[in-house]
Amino acid sequence: MTQTLDVHQGVTQLGRTQATAAPTTAKPAEISKAGVFAITFGITFAVLYTVLEQLNWPLFTYHPAVGKIDFWMQRPRSGEGPPMYWFGWLALSGIGAVVVSSIATFLPKPWLFRATVFCCLLAALWPAFLASGTFIADKVSFDAEFLKSVWLAGSLALVAAAAISYVASDQRVGRLWINSLWLVPVVGLAVLAYSLKSYFLR
Amino acid sequence: MEAITEVFFDYISVRTFWRVLQFAHFTMAVALLGAVTLQTVAVMMPVRQAAGNFISRVRAAPAAAYVKPIVILYIPTFLLGAWIYLKYRTYVRIPMEQFGHWWTVGTFEFKEHIVSMGMGLLPAYWYFWRQPLTEQHETIRKWLVVFLAVSVWYSFLVGHVANDFRGVGA
Repeated sequence: MTQTLDVHQGVTQLGRTQATAAPTTAKPAEISKAGVFAITFGITFAVLYTVLEQLNWPLFTYHPAVGKIDFWMQRPRSGEGPPMYWFGWLALSGIGAVVVSSIATFLPKPWLFRATVFCCLLAALWPAFLASGTFIADKVSFDAEFLKSVWLAGSLALVAAAAISYVASDQRVGRLWINSLWLVPVVGLAVLAYSLKSYFLR
Repeated sequence: MEAITEVFFDYISVRTFWRVLQFAHFTMAVALLGAVTLQTVAVMMPVRQAAGNFISRVRAAPAAAYVKPIVILYIPTFLLGAWIYLKYRTYVRIPMEQFGHWWTVGTFEFKEHIVSMGMGLLPAYWYFWRQPLTEQHETIRKWLVVFLAVSVWYSFLVGHVANDFRGVGA
């Protein structure tokens, strides 16, 4: 019995194309509740962290020079040194991601896939439409100030995100859900890097 | 946090305390760097058999074997870095701004973002590398490895530059 298993393992090792040195299985991968939690956590954390950093909404502000913590966002105060928001963004993103991921484990998979894709698209399209509207309004010769409206961009993004996540097939949405795991942090980092441009253009 | 540090200050100077902390952070970062690099090589350039020179043997290493060390090293390296970040904000960043080292400040700001994203991905990274590995998730496993490797390499290099400005031995 032992020999049979060893031989089988040896054949599997030689036949693999990836050097993972662990048996891979070809049967359809069923994602467990722990997997749903982990994947949703990764996606939600990246979205929340990016949004909270951009809006500067930390759960708390830490003043390292005086060792003081204030709830929510506090501007620098005279004699208290520079404030730190990073811990506050991390805490709020972490808590938010845990809550969302916990809820996700109770949702049927097709709903979860579509809801995730919808939220990610909304988070990406809203600022994209707003930036495009602002760019166009600044370039055209006629009065197009309405294009700078946050709510107009939001409404358009909502419709577009709803349409795309509704029309897309189950298979495609499922694939997109998994790929969002690395795609969302990469897009988030691009946004965060862009917001740091003032440091590099001085 | 201050209460914890005060205990140490009875025995060692404040400067020595932060240097020890930073050296521990550096040591763990080097180990983590090694692990993520070896795993990336094994995942991106796999070979079927371990034979030939050193590089071929590294490429044939079992990628799954690095997962536990990476998770175990990433979390305390992150936490220790977050602790040292308190000192950086007042002791290092303010002089950096005064001397106009804006590129260093900017790249370090990005470091806090990239390591945070890496932390957020750790649960999924651990999940996808659990045994038995599924063929359908080979691509996502690969990208998670690459993402973590980029975040660790970037953080290591930027941290090193910041340390050169004002840190251990600077």
